[in-house]
Amino acid sequence: MRTLALIAWLVALLLATPVAALAQAKLRLVATTPDLASLAEAVCGERVTVSSIVPPGSDAEEYQPRPRDLERLRGADAVMRVGVDYDLWLDRLLGQAQNAALARGAPGYIDASVAIALLDVRGAAVGPGHQHGSGNPHYWLDPANAEIITGNLLEALARLDPPGAHHYERRRIAFLDRLAAKRGDWQRALAPYQGQALIAYHNNWAYLARRFRLNLAGFIEIKPGVPPSPAHLASLLRTMREKDIAIIVRQPHEPARNTGFLASRSGAAVVVLAASVGALPETPDYFGLIDYNVKALAAAFSQRGKS
Amino acid sequence: VSDAIALLALPFIAALCLVGIHAYFGIQVLRRNVIFVDLALAQIAALGATVAFMLGHPALGAAAYAYSFGFTLLAALLLSFTRAWSGRVPQEALIGVIYVLAAAAALLLIDRAPQGAEHLKQILTGTILTVGRDDLALIAPLYLAVACVHWLLRKRLLPTAGADWRWEFAFYASFGVVVTSSVSLAGVLLVFSFLIIPAAIGVLYAERLSRQLLIAWISGAAASALGLGASYVWDLPTGAAMVCAFGAALALAGVARPFARDGQRGRTARQMLCVARWCTSLVLLASAAGLMFAPHADQPLLDAAERTLPALRDLYLNSSEQALYRDAAAYAARYQRAAGQLNEREARSRFDTKALDDYELARISSFIKSYNEMRRGEEFVMREVRSRARARVRWIGGAFALVLALLFAPGFFPIVCSSLRDKRAQTGSQTS
Repeated sequence: MRTLALIAWLVALLLATPVAALAQAKLRLVATTPDLASLAEAVCGERVTVSSIVPPGSDAEEYQPRPRDLERLRGADAVMRVGVDYDLWLDRLLGQAQNAALARGAPGYIDASVAIALLDVRGAAVGPGHQHGSGNPHYWLDPANAEIITGNLLEALARLDPPGAHHYERRRIAFLDRLAAKRGDWQRALAPYQGQALIAYHNNWAYLARRFRLNLAGFIEIKPGVPPSPAHLASLLRTMREKDIAIIVRQPHEPARNTGFLASRSGAAVVVLAASVGALPETPDYFGLIDYNVKALAAAFSQRGKS
Repeated sequence: VSDAIALLALPFIAALCLVGIHAYFGIQVLRRNVIFVDLALAQIAALGATVAFMLGHPALGAAAYAYSFGFTLLAALLLSFTRAWSGRVPQEALIGVIYVLAAAAALLLIDRAPQGAEHLKQILTGTILTVGRDDLALIAPLYLAVACVHWLLRKRLLPTAGADWRWEFAFYASFGVVVTSSVSLAGVLLVFSFLIIPAAIGVLYAERLSRQLLIAWISGAAASALGLGASYVWDLPTGAAMVCAFGAALALAGVARPFARDGQRGRTARQMLCVARWCTSLVLLASAAGLMFAPHADQPLLDAAERTLPALRDLYLNSSEQALYRDAAAYAARYQRAAGQLNEREARSRFDTKALDDYELARISSFIKSYNEMRRGEEFVMREVRSRARARVRWIGGAFALVLALLFAPGFFPIVCSSLRDKRAQTGSQTS
């Protein structure tokens, strides 16, 4: 019995070797968030195995790394991060993984935020606004920034896998073509509502609002983790009355209570938007993400126009 | 003010309901000596709701409540059996274990469904500020029903020694129902304060249950009103402000307690004055030492004094330092204004005025960043000027604080006076 099992093992091993060798030939890219992973998949195609550390639907800023993440980083050829103090936990993880190819400045280290024009930059003296002085990190929600992110990725891929450079470039151009077409659709869908005001639970939507020229007039939770004070809620209600704001935006994982409270007091509608790929079933990839958000916003604005 | 009343009316009514039932349970909990039982029961209820969520039931639906209730009943059963668990390990230890186990188990479950994390959080971190009418319509009759049951069974439900486990179970089960609903409404921190602090004040001042309850209700209502008001006036998170108001109420009650005893009022007052003087004296002493031996370090007392009375700074800055300080302050304000204006302009350009392209945006951002860094630089100059001036006057300032400390120290004056008198008497006797 035991010898039989041994033979079976050997056969299995023999069969598995070529497959494993093939898998070895593929580059392995680890992205910190599902958004970056989705963009990377669009560019990489079948030459690279792309995975995301943060599972879809989790809060990437508060992610608690698992032992398996360490293993994944040890075996990776490239790591792609959001940067701008968003996925700070990656620094410690990289330090533990001891993978020289992924160290800051090494060819396998890709900071997607390079060359992005950041919003809400305050410098080390953090003023009012986002918790980080170095800028608002939710830049992937501006579809125009997808061009820069994939550009950063292409540069790194061409360095890591020169024979595949043409492949990646072709795929990126195809992606950009599709993006350009989509961007036209999105702009048209939200064009009638330019300059309209809305309230958000937290300042995740600055880039999206800027691209489609919407007025983000206030936030419920200014400092992350600190519940709003009554004076702040009162001033928000005043703003909503003055500017006739009828839309409150929140992410699926943000508390429904506070937004529901403001909505019931002001008669505004709550719109659930996804700030990252996979946060809602309707947002399986990057295009789906922006598509869903644009459609949800357009539907909410048009509803409001009717009533 | 009408804004404030419109916003705070419902939270205040909710706080009254919560204080009403929790003050009673708090007295019971204090008598049973199971202080943290509410945390354990709330966490168990959250675990139940999480299990329901993992089984595919909608969050905050009927099934979630059913699971919470079922888990709470199980925990109540466990608690009622372990009242006289063993003479060696207090029941409080078991309560702590239930709490951590429930919290850890919920985390492990949630790990499989990240969307549920927020749901779990919501069960344990309610915000009393956003209580709605429908919430009140749910809890008010529920608490009334629980209160009626406890009133009817008051002989049985008081924690007498050797109580039947079935009555213990009834107590923990009803308490679990109350805590589950209140924690999702007001959050763990606030519910714990509602439970323990008014009850503690009541127990502090009265022997009979009815009087304890009355005192607890009055103090709880007053602390709630104060906390809500402070949270509005000073722009603070409501739950945390209320917890601090309850803490202050307990401190006040504790300080006032000795005065309630007849015949000792004078002595207590003297003792407290003595303690207060010692504390002031020690703080002054520490500040004097800090100023003399580490003038460049933080001087909390001096900083606080200068913040309330900026003229104090001019006392020890010489004229050139004053000019430098004022200059830096003016520049800091100017940079802040400039950054604010740019920021305003950029924010408007996002939806109103002409859109900025990425290059212009990056340019404005770098200006904002520079202005903020320059403001920090000026603030550094202000701090440095001040700390150098402090180093210059440290001996005089320190000596002044030292004298103040001695003046505040109880008993110092009498000793000095009497020794002086002794000396004068001695010299008087020598001359005569």
